[in-house]
Amino acid sequence: MVASLNYLFKRVFYSVFIVIGIIVVTYLLIILSPGDPAARWAGNPRGPGAGKAIEFARVELNLDKPLYLQVVLFIYNVLTGNLGVSISTKTPVLTAIWTHMSSTLELLIFAYMIGIPIGVFLGVFSSLRRGSFKGDVLESIGFVVANTPSFWTGMALFLVFSEVLGVSSYGRIDTRLATIMGFKPITGFYLIDTLIQGNIILFFDVLKRLIPPAIVVSLYPIGTGIRVVRVLMSEALSEDYVKQAIALGVSRRTVIWDYAFKGIIPGLTQVMGLSFVYSLVDAMIVEYVFGREGLGSLLVGAVVSNDFKLAVATLIIISTFYIIANTITDIVQAWIDPRVKL
Amino acid sequence: MEVVGDNPNSCCLKALVVVKDFLVRFMRRLLIVSLIVMIVVAGGTAYYLSTRQASSQQRVLVYAYNDKITGIDPSLEDDTGLVVLGSVYEPLLYYDPLRNQTIPALAESWESKENNTVWIFHLRKGVVFHDNSPFNSTAVVISVLRAKEVYEKYGVGLGYIWDGVEDVKALDDYTVEFKLKYPQRLDLIAASSYAAYIFNPNALAKAGVSDYTDLKLRDWFNKGADEGTGPYMIESYDPYNQVVLVKFDKWWGWSTVRNDKAPDKVVIKIKTDPQDQYNGLISGELDIVTSVPRVSIQDLVNKGFKELRINTFHSYFLVFNTRRYPTNITEFRLAVLYSIPWDRIVDQAMKGYALLGSGYVPHGFPGFVEGLSFKQNLTLARIYLEKSGVKPGVTIEFMYQSDYVEEEDFASILKTSLAEIGVNVKIIPSTWESIKEAGKSVWDNPDNTPHLLINDWWPTIISPYDYLYNLFHGESKEWNWSGYDNQTFNQLIDEAFALEGSDYGKAMELYREAQETLFNNAVAVNLWDEVKVFVYNPRVTLPSSAVNPLYMYVIFYQYVQVA
Repeated sequence: MVASLNYLFKRVFYSVFIVIGIIVVTYLLIILSPGDPAARWAGNPRGPGAGKAIEFARVELNLDKPLYLQVVLFIYNVLTGNLGVSISTKTPVLTAIWTHMSSTLELLIFAYMIGIPIGVFLGVFSSLRRGSFKGDVLESIGFVVANTPSFWTGMALFLVFSEVLGVSSYGRIDTRLATIMGFKPITGFYLIDTLIQGNIILFFDVLKRLIPPAIVVSLYPIGTGIRVVRVLMSEALSEDYVKQAIALGVSRRTVIWDYAFKGIIPGLTQVMGLSFVYSLVDAMIVEYVFGREGLGSLLVGAVVSNDFKLAVATLIIISTFYIIANTITDIVQAWIDPRVKL
Repeated sequence: MEVVGDNPNSCCLKALVVVKDFLVRFMRRLLIVSLIVMIVVAGGTAYYLSTRQASSQQRVLVYAYNDKITGIDPSLEDDTGLVVLGSVYEPLLYYDPLRNQTIPALAESWESKENNTVWIFHLRKGVVFHDNSPFNSTAVVISVLRAKEVYEKYGVGLGYIWDGVEDVKALDDYTVEFKLKYPQRLDLIAASSYAAYIFNPNALAKAGVSDYTDLKLRDWFNKGADEGTGPYMIESYDPYNQVVLVKFDKWWGWSTVRNDKAPDKVVIKIKTDPQDQYNGLISGELDIVTSVPRVSIQDLVNKGFKELRINTFHSYFLVFNTRRYPTNITEFRLAVLYSIPWDRIVDQAMKGYALLGSGYVPHGFPGFVEGLSFKQNLTLARIYLEKSGVKPGVTIEFMYQSDYVEEEDFASILKTSLAEIGVNVKIIPSTWESIKEAGKSVWDNPDNTPHLLINDWWPTIISPYDYLYNLFHGESKEWNWSGYDNQTFNQLIDEAFALEGSDYGKAMELYREAQETLFNNAVAVNLWDEVKVFVYNPRVTLPSSAVNPLYMYVIFYQYVQVA
């Protein structure tokens, strides 16, 4: 327990430096890239006072100060929880990030709820049929789905749902219906929000729109799951303790799931943790195809419009997400596998 | 089970147990599957029924707009916020582009005295703000002064439109008098697309400020506050995703409009990507879109969607860097302009959705000049090239906005046509922010500014001065990307603007002369005036009265009908 806490403290301590590094690099990259954030804040001013507006904006944004001081002030503000307001929309950065992040996370979590069980099941199935036609087919499927560009799969699935099946998978919710029914986001996770508001109709609507993009995002964990589980299970099934259990007449089901599979969980957790982080990028692309708001559209919009506050804050949140996901993976691994020390 | 093993009839019993186990497992699974099916069917049916019921209860219109909202301060916003402000707030007057005259809005009538240096507006009675407080002269005075004084103090907003106002005061609750520094068409100023909206003075108390120039009031408005009198109120405001407007039943104009099918609620959906708008329209989620790929408009019409075309005042200018070799040579610029196949530009780059530009003010806008356009003449182009002294083989840079496919198409036309006279074009695709940065740098660092850029413009005030001052006046260092600073031209348009109030006809003559100067010096050329296409679902009726080119992207929802 003490060791775990020590590990956590160390991890948080190092993470602060990583985040500061990210702030410095992204701030400099965006500030030094072409475009004038002060002009954006001033709102593309016109008329004889345009120059004055930009100079005033420079002061308001601290851009009149030396670069090192700007960076220090920015780091101070971020670390004290003041992410400021977007220079494009003049609204709090944190609100924008939360709205978009909850959308992306909802998609990602749902995709993994689909992807992990399917990937694991097919991986185990494939490992038990190594060398057979079915096993080879499954391995090939795993390879293909893990490597197919999600943009392409997304487009194809979107067309199948809308044109062939006549089911709209566009956006996160039926805008018209949500407006009529007075739906208000609370947590930002629409599945939860609709349930909190007791609106089963909108719950189904959200679910209907979540499933197709989630299928696309889940393809990567499914593909990865099949391939990783197949390899790990094959190794586990040749272990002495498994062979001994088989010799003792332990049922096939128990041998596979209680003995062999349990042994591969630490390795599988590590791989799935990393793939979850990778899928964040995947989700950003897929949500674009399905007309859903999310971190991807937010970040691209911020960079294009020189909204340095929003861009830096979004990158900080994404990096923090990476750090947290990796830390949780390590902790879960140590918890499952007593051989792993933190 | 152990007992069964000792029984002589164990075979039968075993079989029975196996069958029983099978049946139990089967029934359990059947039950689970049935439950899932029932839940899905019940949910689906309820969803279907409630969708139908809900649709018949309220009329909701979903309009896709192609950019995030940059702010909704009625006095200071100068960009995309207009799409919201246009329905929530009202100016004193509106501009009717077809008749080139102003029409009543919050002012019912108006008159000018003393050679257009004194203007009196008689306000509409019985108008209320969205919080039910009455609209009166004080609101007009504060709204105008706020826009004007914040601009004078910080340069923020577009309050320069009120520059000519020396004093504004309430004569009584429903009469406002403006005293001007010089004669002006204040009726046209009062109908401007920005900085002319009237807000509720109660906003100051709600925002916790006592001074209307306090920028905390701006921040308060930009959080989603609504203090207007317009036909729609803001219900929710998320500048990245959507703004929901709800019908204001106490709007003074409903009795005039008499549209019982006007939307009860309007959702302005932010959809920046044209393909995203297309997908939303065909999936039935969006009712009106403005930025689907132009090549797909006909396809959508064939699928049963409707379109409304509107000639806009949004013009795209090809601007020369007049401070860098070789585009600093007039003859070279003329050579470039005579080599471009102008008759193909609109069809190829804009897929027909534009009018070829003429002069430097768009079609239908006051001051428009017919016939100030170039025609391709390669012989003349070669003569001018020779006169310029620039040797064939020279390379010039052209920067355009990479996410505008029409500019990309124009770039390839430009490159091909200039190759015919031996001029190479280095095409630089870039972001809007980078182009603006490069354009502005023409004043300080012309050699680092591309030779050619595209700048687009739509007006704030109803005067050619809006285009000519901002894009070509020597003082306008933010938007004059040609680096052109011709004292004669500057004086000409300044004089014209000053004359607008006293001799409008003469002012227009001077604007014409100014445009001829630009044309003869080939400083820039108006490529096209955009034709905006609204594509919409047939369940919606979108009359032409619902849009107005001066108020870009604003839909006057009170005229829209939703089935």
